[in-house]
Amino acid sequence: MIATIIRKEILLTLKDKGAFFWLFALPVLFIVIFSSIFGSAGSSTTYKVPYYDADGSAASGQFLERLGEIKGFALEAYEGGSLEEGVKEIKDGSRSYLLVVPAGYGQQVEAGQSAEIELYRDTVADEAVAPVLALLDSVSASYHDYKLRGILAGMGQNEEAIDAIMQPAISIKEVKENATKTNAVTQIVPGYTVMFVFFIMINMIQNLLKDRRSGMLSRLQGTPMKPIHYLVGMWVPNVLVVLVQSTVLLTFGQLVYGLQLGHPLAIALIVLGLAVCATGIGLMLALLVSSENMGIAMVQVIAMGGAIVGGLWFPYEFLPKAVQTIGLFTPQYWAQKGMQDVMIRGMDIGGIGWTLLILFAFGLAGLGVALLRFKKFALKTA
Amino acid sequence: MTDVLQVRGAKKSYGSHQALKGVDLTVKPGSCFGLLGPNGAGKSTMMKLLTGIIDPDQGHIEVFGLNIRKELSAIHQLIGYVPQDITLYEKLSGKQNLTFFGRMHGIRGTELKKRIAEVLEAVGLTERAGDEVASYSGGMKRRINIAAALLHRPKLVIMDEPTVGIDPQSRNHIFEMIRKLQRDGVTILYSTHYMEEVEALCDEVAIIDHGRIVSQGGLRELLELHAVKAVYAEAAGVSEPPVVDGIVKATQEGKGWVLECDHPLSVLSALSAKWAREGVTVKALELMQPTLDSVFLKLTGTTLRD
Repeated sequence: MIATIIRKEILLTLKDKGAFFWLFALPVLFIVIFSSIFGSAGSSTTYKVPYYDADGSAASGQFLERLGEIKGFALEAYEGGSLEEGVKEIKDGSRSYLLVVPAGYGQQVEAGQSAEIELYRDTVADEAVAPVLALLDSVSASYHDYKLRGILAGMGQNEEAIDAIMQPAISIKEVKENATKTNAVTQIVPGYTVMFVFFIMINMIQNLLKDRRSGMLSRLQGTPMKPIHYLVGMWVPNVLVVLVQSTVLLTFGQLVYGLQLGHPLAIALIVLGLAVCATGIGLMLALLVSSENMGIAMVQVIAMGGAIVGGLWFPYEFLPKAVQTIGLFTPQYWAQKGMQDVMIRGMDIGGIGWTLLILFAFGLAGLGVALLRFKKFALKTA
Repeated sequence: MTDVLQVRGAKKSYGSHQALKGVDLTVKPGSCFGLLGPNGAGKSTMMKLLTGIIDPDQGHIEVFGLNIRKELSAIHQLIGYVPQDITLYEKLSGKQNLTFFGRMHGIRGTELKKRIAEVLEAVGLTERAGDEVASYSGGMKRRINIAAALLHRPKLVIMDEPTVGIDPQSRNHIFEMIRKLQRDGVTILYSTHYMEEVEALCDEVAIIDHGRIVSQGGLRELLELHAVKAVYAEAAGVSEPPVVDGIVKATQEGKGWVLECDHPLSVLSALSAKWAREGVTVKALELMQPTLDSVFLKLTGTTLRD
C-alpha cells in the first residue's frame, strides 16, 4: 500500500518539470551567482586601487611600486582624465575612492619632510575603503620604520642592534586549525543547499491539499488504506527528492568549485537528517494550514527566516548576538554547522551527534503532529 | 439473504448544519437502488457514511452484515466507491491510474493486468489507456473514474452522481455498464438528482430531502402510491379550465391543462363528450403517466432543484 503511493508520487514528481527548476536549477543558479560575487570561483579577492600620480617623480614611482607589490591589491592608473574629473566621479558616486600622489611629493621626501599622500573617498563607502586605508596605514608604518632605521644607523647602531630595537613588543602568530581552507564556497554551497531543501515543503503542501480538494483523499479512504499508509506514502518520495537534490548541489560544489566534502558518511547522514527534518516539517505544515496560500507564506517565513538567522547567507559569526541566539533554535543553523564541521573542521560521525539528533528530532516531531492531525485534515473533505 | 445495506437512525452534522436527520435505509442484494434528491439534500454525506469516509454522529450502519465502525477494512474489500468528483491523476495515463487504484485494493501482478484489461474493455477505453487522463474528454474521465472502482470486483458499487456534466453517448455507455454489473449480481447504490436516471436504471428508490428519507420502496410501488392521477387536455380556443364532474384541481401547463382527479378515465370520457358536443378542435386529451417528478413534487412540495 505504502509502496504503491510512493511509486505514484515519484511518477507524478518526474512529470512535474516546474519542480525540477525550483529544486535543482534555481539553487545551482544561486550558488553560481553568489560564488562569482563573493568567492571569485574560490580564489582570493584582489582589491583594485585606482591612483593618480600628480607628482611623477622617482620617489612617487617608488612609492606606488611598493604598494603594488602587496598581495591582494592591484594598482590601476586613473585614466579618466584630470584629477578634478576623478574627484567629480567620487562626488557623484560613480567611484568609491582615488589614491592621489600630490605634486611636490618627491621634493618633500628628498628634503626629509613628512610627505602627504591623499585618498579621496566617498564618505558612504566605508566598507569598500577600509581595506585600502589599512593598506596605506601599513605602508606608512613601514616608511616610519625605514626612517627610524636610518636615524639609528646614523647614531652608529649596527644592524643587529637596530633589529633588536625595532622588534615589536608583541607579535601575532596565526595558527590555522581547520583541516580545509575556508572561503566563500564553503559558506555558499552548503548554505544554499540547506536553504533550498526547505522549499520542498511547498511541493508537499500543494500535493496534500490538492489530494484533499480534488476528493482523491476521500476516495482513497474508501479503500483499505490506513492514515499511516497515506502519510508515509506521501512523505517518503519527498525525502528521496531532497536526498537527490542535496547530492546534486553538493556534487556541483565539489566538481565546479573544488568544495571539500570531508567524511562522506558524515555528510550523507547530515543530508539524510536534513531531508527528514524539512519533509517532516513540510508534512506537518500541510496538515495544519487552512489554505495553500497560507502554507506557502509559512514556508517562505521558515525557509528565508531560517536562512538568515541560521547563518546560511552570512557566516554565523558575523550575525548580531541576539540573532545568533535565535539561530540556535532553527534546524538550518544545525544543518549548516554540521556540514561545515565536516567540510572545514574535518569532523566525522562522532563530531556531529548533536546536529543529527536535532535534525531527526525536528523531522520526527513534524511526522508525529501530522499523524495526530490527519483525521481533522481529512474531515475537511466532507 | 442478508441485506446489503442496513442503516438505522443515521445522523450527521457539520457544525450547526444537520446534514442527515435520522436516516433509515435498506438495500436488498442484486438491486439497483436509487438515492434521489436535490443538491444539498444529504446524498453525498450518506455516501461517505456508507464508505466509512466519515463517521455518523448517531445511528447504526451495517454493510453485508458487517458493522461499519468495527469491520471497516473487511467492508472496504467488498465495496467500490465512485465519488461525485473525478478523482484521477491527470498527469498519469488511464492505465497508470487504474494500476494505482488496483494496487490500493491489494491486486497485484497478472491478476491486476487482467482486471485492468477487463475494466478498460467495459468502459470502452482500451485504445486510449496509454494516454494522459488530462487529454480525455469529460465523459471518458467519468468512465475511467468508474472503472477505478470496479477493479477489485466489489459486491456493492456506490456511485455518487457519476454522470454529472457528460455527453449523452458517455451516459448511455455508463448506463449499459451499470446494467451489466447488475446482471452479474453486483448491487448498485446510485445517487442522483436526475429523475430520468432513476427511472431508467433503478428498481428501488429512496427520496431524500433536507436530510430525511421522505419515501422509500420499489419504483412502481412508489409511483402507484404517490403519483398524482391526472388527465392532460388541450384544445383550440379554450382559454379557461374545462369543467366536468370529478376534476379536483386544474393547472395550466403549456397551452393545455393538467386536470387532477380520482377517476381519470371518467374525466377523460366526460370531457371528450363535452368537447364533441361543443365542436371544439381537440389537440390533446390523454391520461398522464405517473412520474417520479410528480411523486417528488407531491412528497416535498417542491420540484427537484438543480
